[in-house]
Amino acid sequence: MIQLIISILVGAGLLFLLYALARKGTKPEGGAQALIEARQALNELKHDLLPHEVVARIFAKDDLDYVLSAAPEDVVRLFLQQRKRIALSWVDRVRGQVVRLKRFHLGRSRSYARLRLRAEIALTMDFATLLFACRVLQILVFLRGPYAAPQMIGTTVGIVEKVCGVSEASLAFLDSTNTASLDGQSAGTVAGV
Amino acid sequence: MTSGSEPNQADICRAADEFRSRTLSKIPRLLDRLIYLASMRDYNTGLYYHDGLAAQFSEDVACETLAGCHREVFHQLLLCPLREIVDQLEGYIRSARTPPADFVSLWNGIEPYRVVVPVRTDPLASDLFFSNLRVALAIVGARLNGRCPGTRVGASPQPSPAR
Repeated sequence: MIQLIISILVGAGLLFLLYALARKGTKPEGGAQALIEARQALNELKHDLLPHEVVARIFAKDDLDYVLSAAPEDVVRLFLQQRKRIALSWVDRVRGQVVRLKRFHLGRSRSYARLRLRAEIALTMDFATLLFACRVLQILVFLRGPYAAPQMIGTTVGIVEKVCGVSEASLAFLDSTNTASLDGQSAGTVAGV
Repeated sequence: MTSGSEPNQADICRAADEFRSRTLSKIPRLLDRLIYLASMRDYNTGLYYHDGLAAQFSEDVACETLAGCHREVFHQLLLCPLREIVDQLEGYIRSARTPPADFVSLWNGIEPYRVVVPVRTDPLASDLFFSNLRVALAIVGARLNGRCPGTRVGASPQPSPAR
């Protein structure tokens, strides 16, 4: 009886593994979808999440000082709770976008023949550092509030900006100007033909 | 909007300059400007209407101009320190016809500030804005109840100017 149960469990496990592998295989890495996702991630990081004034406002110490000096305890608690939630949401979204960019670079490096090893290793290190920093930030903000690690926030933003720069360069061919020039070239080719 | 063609950027810039100098500059506080601009938007379509601008330029240009000004003012208010937001809220309450305590209670209850955010605003930005207003309302409420340490009662009832 026990042997039968074990066999059924192993069979179910294998089926689940097969299903998971089949699902993973349906999404081609480095395809158009990955390019679009990477561009969206870059836009979101550049325009919504990384602008210095937005980051400075979320983690603004002067707001805390003001609330501490001008509000009763329950309002201070409300303020800290709100800012903690927003700070966690910010870190979570930055991490999510970094993961999307990492996925794009991974797909690209698998399909790109002429890789520069040193640059790829540096980028891999940056991604690893970033994801680790985001996790540490999440834990710190969760445990000690949004004002726990101001320097780490600055460092994280700096590395994300660096990674964004590299990704931007990788995606430069998608820019409208380049696309326009490509269109022009193809139009010229067509005309030539 | 109505014609279906893209409005001219130069017209939008001219209309925005004119709107800023003739209308927005007459409204003293950012919060009042934001509420005013949001009131120019049709809640069902998300489009903005302004007869004067539409007559001078076109409906499309008027809509784009107001949408741009709305985003601009929202962004400015978003980046304000909490202290300034509290001051703005107190100023707005003073200019309203409602008793301050009722105002705070109503704003806490139905959160009308949720409809003043421009369309397609990033959720994090809206969240920060709502959170700032929630805390500002709590501070103003505490001041009204005399619960704040060593602060003035800023939102005391005063005769409101005709709006």
